[in-house]
Amino acid sequence: MSAGGAENGRVGLRDFSMLIALILIALVFWLRDPAFLSARNLSQLAIELSATAVLGLGMLLIIVPGHIDLSVGSGLGLAGGIAAVLVFEHGWAAPAALAATTLASISLYAAMGTIIVRERIPAFIITLGGLLVFKGAHWLVIENKTVPVVRGGESNLYSLLTTYHLPPTVGLTLAAVLIVAMGIAATRAERRRRRQGIAADPEAAFLRWFLSAQVILLFVLSTNQYKGVPLSALILAATAFAVHVVTTHTPFGRYLYAIGGNEEAAVMSGVPTATTVVGAFAVMGLIVAIAGFLQTAFAGASTTTTGQLMELDAIAACVIGGTSLKGGRGTVVGVLFGALIMATLLNGMTLLAFSPEVKLIARGSVLASAVWLDVRLSRGR
Amino acid sequence: MSHSAMRPEIALRARGLVKRFAGVAALRGVDFELAAGEVHALCGENGAGKSTLIKILAGVIPHGAYEGEVHVAGEPARFRSVRESEARGIAVIHQELALVDEMTVAENIFLGHEPTRYGFIDHQRMYGAAQRLLDRFDLDIAADRQVGDLGIGQKQLVEIAKAIERDSTVLILDEPSAALTGGEVEVLLQIVRELRQRGVACLYISHKLDEVFAIADRITVLRDGDSVGRFDTQATQPDVVVRHMVGREIAELYPRRDVSPGEVLLEVEDLCVADSDDGPPRLADIRFSVRAGEVLGIGGLMGAGRSELLHHVFGAWGRRRQGSVRIAGRPLAASPRACLRQGVALVCEDRKRHGLVLGQTLAFNLSLSSIAGLARRGWIDSDREMHGGGGARDTLRIVAPHLQCAVETLSGGNQQKVVLGKALMSEPRVLLLDEPTRGIDVGAKQEIYRLIRELTSGGLAVVMVSSELPELMGMSDRILMLAGGRQSGIFASGDVSAETLLAAAMATTAGCEQGRTA
Repeated sequence: MSAGGAENGRVGLRDFSMLIALILIALVFWLRDPAFLSARNLSQLAIELSATAVLGLGMLLIIVPGHIDLSVGSGLGLAGGIAAVLVFEHGWAAPAALAATTLASISLYAAMGTIIVRERIPAFIITLGGLLVFKGAHWLVIENKTVPVVRGGESNLYSLLTTYHLPPTVGLTLAAVLIVAMGIAATRAERRRRRQGIAADPEAAFLRWFLSAQVILLFVLSTNQYKGVPLSALILAATAFAVHVVTTHTPFGRYLYAIGGNEEAAVMSGVPTATTVVGAFAVMGLIVAIAGFLQTAFAGASTTTTGQLMELDAIAACVIGGTSLKGGRGTVVGVLFGALIMATLLNGMTLLAFSPEVKLIARGSVLASAVWLDVRLSRGR
Repeated sequence: MSHSAMRPEIALRARGLVKRFAGVAALRGVDFELAAGEVHALCGENGAGKSTLIKILAGVIPHGAYEGEVHVAGEPARFRSVRESEARGIAVIHQELALVDEMTVAENIFLGHEPTRYGFIDHQRMYGAAQRLLDRFDLDIAADRQVGDLGIGQKQLVEIAKAIERDSTVLILDEPSAALTGGEVEVLLQIVRELRQRGVACLYISHKLDEVFAIADRITVLRDGDSVGRFDTQATQPDVVVRHMVGREIAELYPRRDVSPGEVLLEVEDLCVADSDDGPPRLADIRFSVRAGEVLGIGGLMGAGRSELLHHVFGAWGRRRQGSVRIAGRPLAASPRACLRQGVALVCEDRKRHGLVLGQTLAFNLSLSSIAGLARRGWIDSDREMHGGGGARDTLRIVAPHLQCAVETLSGGNQQKVVLGKALMSEPRVLLLDEPTRGIDVGAKQEIYRLIRELTSGGLAVVMVSSELPELMGMSDRILMLAGGRQSGIFASGDVSAETLLAAAMATTAGCEQGRTA
């Protein structure tokens, strides 16, 4: 409830700037090619978005306490690669391969977090080392080959991560349940605010709920016209919900914001700073594994370039979404918007057959100008 | 150089200075005058308005943000920045030094206006001039030394050399001797005397009255933002100055009470603590105990080790060489987190640095130390959090629109109450307070005093560090004085005079130094 801290409850130009930017970008692409808003492309966009956004949500947990993780791009390549090799070359069952890889990834990231906290080495350095080491390990594991996620053109849990779509009725039922649950949660939160003597704003709450319901319904209806809600979108939604709950409703989440806001004060207030940061890195390990499976499954195979530059997309999603690199500020909704802007940009440019050079330049410029805008707007406060 | 040719008698004059911070008056019409070739001491308790006055003269508080006039060398001065103040010949030597540790002494002295030749720094000229300057004042410092390698006293002297190099006509020294040893203080005073001979006007701010009486020609006393007295040093006595500094009747500000102390809660025995494993001890021979319902005051000069003592008890500073700290008979663990669990809470002196997460809300800050206890099955119970926070807000009378507003928008007094509220929400048995009323107005002070009384009546033990003698004497049952990291006495506050306490704070400094050389 107070994840965003002070800016919570205040709605300004800044909160809408991301929405406006997103609509503008979508509008431009739609005008150039109406297929951009087709059911097929929206499904595609949702699948592309999921890996970046999931990773961005993990990055939020690292940046809020004032750290950074540059290793996640090659880390997720490695995770996806290990799981692919276990399935394709060693004949493991997909669930076992995914579970084993996930555990390995969590321990690896917890170890990195421990080094950062214990030895007081900046996360920038340790994770930069991780970037190189993991990349090398990834290439070693897949022996510089292309390793499919499934044997002989069948499908398994691994490949289904990005190819499975929910049946239309299931999608609609889920959407309905979600919308009702959100309504109940919003009503309860509103009642609680009133009980606690905080100026309640039922109209804003209703508007927020109404808009979210519209977006969810629209998304389900349009993806249903194609194949149904993609499983990866569901995974993203679950991750976002989990990270939101962790950041706003648990002591662990409070500690993240306290450490990023003022580490000395956090220590003096009895916050277990070391455990909290190691915990954030452990969660990052889990998320790296998930994003790695999604990204690898999306390509169908682990290659030497899987995950390349994705750490930057994740950081960009956070920063565009208003997360402060100094720590102490950032929200799940912001990161989702940031990831959506980056993914939309990439998807639209691919649709319009932009060259890779132009794509890179455009993404970089959007990142820089989004942060510039954010700095300008926050300075005026 | 034009002003040095025809130097007017009055180097600096301030008239009717008024400055308010968020409605609280820090200065209420201060008049002040500094003659060329004079050393003028400014005395007053913390919060009397000394630092506000310096900030106006130095251009830190820009013209327009205060009322009243400042004249430098007879001309009106409307400084909008530190640069403008420097350009008119005013130099301030701050308590916190403004030197770059990674650069040499000469580079620091010439920082910002390095002598150049064809656009490149003329190192020969720079080092030569710096060395001549240092030698002229018999400072045993090489111009090519790295400043980071110097002791704190030498750094202070380099800072002064920097001001002299800039041809300052007005030198403001803010507690310059706080970190100096006896020998270094002598060198400092000698330099100040020499500057006086050369016609520099010196404003000397110090808590140490012996120094003030050794160096100053005149003394101005500030109290609660007013100039309450001006004395010729020759014609006055230290106790007169102290009386003017303290001023108000102690009894009316500090609520008395008559609860008899209960069981011993906090016991400190033979404590000897150093910065690091191989450093010299910074605290030695400290032993005291505090009972339930009792307030133990801790006094001493700046640098005497008061805050260090509290931070060490709280597990946040230092390596213990020897001694023990116990709470209710059991050893107290050595980390803030563990201390809070055992019922010891600390309210730090520097609330912005150690106390608050400024960008976060009131509720967030109030519950930070107790949030794990407010969670059920790992899930924060928002109702309980708001209930607890609301309770703390009401008890402490924190003035804020609601619990979700950012603490950075609150006034200093209210911020201080938030830090106090956070400590109280952890339900401590022993409360350590480090300068609990620093930088807040008299009204908020009184509320905090009242609260301390209520807490001790409820059986809490309080250890309170304060630089304000009246506060120590008014609030404490007993007062422990520190000097140079050593305990110089414990006094029952009922029958001890301010002079005795001041003597305990200062006299033993010399004693400790003898101990150090012996």
